[in-house]
Amino acid sequence: MIDTYSRRRPLALLAVVVVAQVLLLAFQIKGEHDVRLIRFWAVELVTPLERAGTWMFSRVGGAWGGYVGLRNARAENQRMRAQLDQLELRNRELESHAAEAQRLETLLSFREAHPEASMLAAQVIGSSADPTSHTLFINRGERDHLRLNLGVVTPEGIVGKIVEVLPNTAQVLLINDKDSGVGALFSGSRTHGVVKGSGDPEPRMDYVVNDEKVQPGDLIATSGEDRIFPKDFPIGAVESAKPGNPFQTIRVHPAARLDRLEDVIVLLSQQQVVFKKPETSATAAAPPAAPPIAQPGVTEATRQKPAAPKP
Amino acid sequence: MLNVGERPDPNVEVHKFYSGAVLGVALLALVFQAFLHKYGRWAELIDLPLLVTVYFGVSRRNPVTGMFLGGTIGILQDALSHDNPIGMYGIAKTIIGYLASSIGGRVDTEHPVSRFLLVFFCFHFHQVILAITQRVLLNHSAPLFTLRLLLDSLVTAAFAVPLFALLDRLRRPS
Repeated sequence: MIDTYSRRRPLALLAVVVVAQVLLLAFQIKGEHDVRLIRFWAVELVTPLERAGTWMFSRVGGAWGGYVGLRNARAENQRMRAQLDQLELRNRELESHAAEAQRLETLLSFREAHPEASMLAAQVIGSSADPTSHTLFINRGERDHLRLNLGVVTPEGIVGKIVEVLPNTAQVLLINDKDSGVGALFSGSRTHGVVKGSGDPEPRMDYVVNDEKVQPGDLIATSGEDRIFPKDFPIGAVESAKPGNPFQTIRVHPAARLDRLEDVIVLLSQQQVVFKKPETSATAAAPPAAPPIAQPGVTEATRQKPAAPKP
Repeated sequence: MLNVGERPDPNVEVHKFYSGAVLGVALLALVFQAFLHKYGRWAELIDLPLLVTVYFGVSRRNPVTGMFLGGTIGILQDALSHDNPIGMYGIAKTIIGYLASSIGGRVDTEHPVSRFLLVFFCFHFHQVILAITQRVLLNHSAPLFTLRLLLDSLVTAAFAVPLFALLDRLRRPS
């Protein structure tokens, strides 16, 4: 090995000397673009290494960045999902509050529109367990001076009457219960009848003779004869009318949304109340198919008559 | 086949020269080469630095010594020229010095014919190296072989025979 090395040493030395002189030449010679050959060679030698290094680092960095980004994205995804759940919950809470505020605003407006009436706001806290019985419970009772047969209404129309009073709660019989009956009249023709529950969601109006012209959409209001509801409180509108024996069969669409009641008003006296529909809740709470509620005290005759000049 | 760079044949004599003889002859060769150029184109036929490189390489028979001597002479020749980059002749004469020393360690180069042939061969090899270097590094279209080069090589080889005999007188007696 040593012998081979000593024999090859002059040749290696020759290579070193020649390479040194080539480098010396390259240092002096300028090639294209007036760049010295040594610089050109150095760049050509180093550039592929730099390119390879850059490529390798970019690949490794990209892979690492992707991996870290993926991990971060996963954690962030979980965090954002949790945040989204919280926000959805919060949104529902706010929507509930907003709806409650709107309902309370409607009640307040109704209460302010009828300062002459003695009334009490109440919340619906439950309903009957019997599917054939249309009753509900409110959070007011004997301690709030409630008593039997007080009318329960909403700004849209009547709801029912109190049939049982407990110390802190009261049971309300809805107008669509089969045991319910409300003195009613057509707002236009002033023809009287009785709105009775039939066990269906929609009550019927009885005791209207076949000769009476009844059209779907005709408005029905309280007549005050039952001494529970004041006169001319909206009950609903005619949905359909058929001739019957001996009276017409008239189905009534209630003005109050009996299936989704949350806040109601208990009329503490049966004194005369001039119904004024609050504007804030009229459009929001009215059912889409329901016709507009009649203005209190306005009859078909008065609608057709021109207004008398004031003195 | 000749293995250049290997240990010289112990039966071949290694000549030694008086001190300063190698350096003095090399300098004289360079000076004469530059001086003779002023007196006509005939002087360009002979490459004195090449002859000195070959002679001392063959005589000393040490590749390392011949390589450094050839390299030094070549670089000085480059330095004395006005347009050659330093290293052009340096590379060529480094290799020639190494080659001549290696050949001198294997072959008897005392005979005039062998000296003629050796110089003739070294001249063309020197020219090939120069041409390749110029083509690769300088991007010049240098010829590898022409009739002029053949004439130059014959004149140089013929001139080498008496010159080498003259230089033999500088040898120290063994």
